[in-house]
Amino acid sequence: MNIIQQHSDASLAENWRTINIDLLDPESSSNFDTTTLHPAFAAVSADEARGIGQQVRQLLRGGDAEGALRGSLEMVPYGGDASAKEIHLQTVTEVLQSIKASEMTPMLQRIFQSEGGSEALDVLMKYLYKGMASSATHKTPSRGSTLTPQSTGFSQMGGRPGAGNESSGAAMSVLLSWHEKVVEVAGLGCINRSMTDWRKV
Amino acid sequence: MRSQSRFKSKTRKRRKTRNKYFEIEEGGRLNPLARYVARVCLDPTKTLIEHTTTTTAAGSLHTHIDKMSQSLRPYLQCVRSSLTSALCLSNFASQTSERHNVPEIEAQTSPEVLLNPLTVARNENERVLIEPSINSVRISIKIKQADEIENILVHKFTRFLTQRAEAFFILRRKPIKGYDISFLITNFHTEEMLKHKLVDFIIQFMEEVDKEISEMKLFLNARARFVAESFLTPFD
Repeated sequence: MNIIQQHSDASLAENWRTINIDLLDPESSSNFDTTTLHPAFAAVSADEARGIGQQVRQLLRGGDAEGALRGSLEMVPYGGDASAKEIHLQTVTEVLQSIKASEMTPMLQRIFQSEGGSEALDVLMKYLYKGMASSATHKTPSRGSTLTPQSTGFSQMGGRPGAGNESSGAAMSVLLSWHEKVVEVAGLGCINRSMTDWRKV
Repeated sequence: MRSQSRFKSKTRKRRKTRNKYFEIEEGGRLNPLARYVARVCLDPTKTLIEHTTTTTAAGSLHTHIDKMSQSLRPYLQCVRSSLTSALCLSNFASQTSERHNVPEIEAQTSPEVLLNPLTVARNENERVLIEPSINSVRISIKIKQADEIENILVHKFTRFLTQRAEAFFILRRKPIKGYDISFLITNFHTEEMLKHKLVDFIIQFMEEVDKEISEMKLFLNARARFVAESFLTPFD
């Protein structure tokens, strides 16, 4: 009787059939501590990330695009929260967009051949994927909400959803051409390392 | 009598064209893309050999890509290299239940074997999500949809394919949220089939599907115009 009562009390609180019992088991693989897979990071605040961004922009204004790129790839806020990471992503994207297409390959080759260059390109690869992911997620009103003005039929008046975001398409094509160049210089292993690395950007 | 038979043949013809994309045609044939998909999946080795002799993997495929629009080429190239990297799979038994072997990316039971997902985007409406794990990779494609007609066409087309997922081996029955079609490649698939051909297949699918959808849209518009014309003739 007592057990039945407890059950009904529990099921009133939440639907116990949907509880994932694996999560309650400390030995379960679901509770694997992933912090053991990467070194400890120093905490980076959003302000510090902004400071790094300022330094990088100064280098960029001074005409040292390669230094700006290296700098932004070496001072990565691994330990930062989401906002710090977002700020640094913007910094890196800005640097990438300011470099001309003809300068990409020679610059990447110089970075790759220098000390710690392979590491830097791995980080660049992470940022390329993050850049593509972030602009793909936060976007203008989703397709579902853009209803036709008239209730019948399919209006073509609504405008193409692709038409409004030409700028995002341009930003993507910059990232895509960078991606191609990085793979040319650093090889496919670069993508593998950015996939498997737990130091997330 | 004569007019009746003409009418009959006309309706039959029309029905055939209507069925062209969504259903199996009267002769039991699939539309070209589906047929290609089916061929590759049902008989990988044979088709792949055929494929090699006709297109010789790198050579002519690259020239084919060169002919495409300028922004499509880097997109597909990026997907190709990402996929090639992601498809490094090994056998991995389930950690939660003994003597089970499940695709870890679907089970999501242990965070240590899941790798960072990769997104490749051409713009907001065209992107590919690659979710790698130790023994499986999930690839989700968002197909370009410029307006509501294309929305419907893409839905119908992907439904046609997913309903036949059994025959396509790597096709997932349900796309993940926010995407139109998903593929699930496990280590067993990469053991049975050639890896670079699997990559080629996904790339080819992405190429063909855009073409197919715009072709279907043109066809639909032509048909709608014809229907409207014949409907309005009596009021002329």
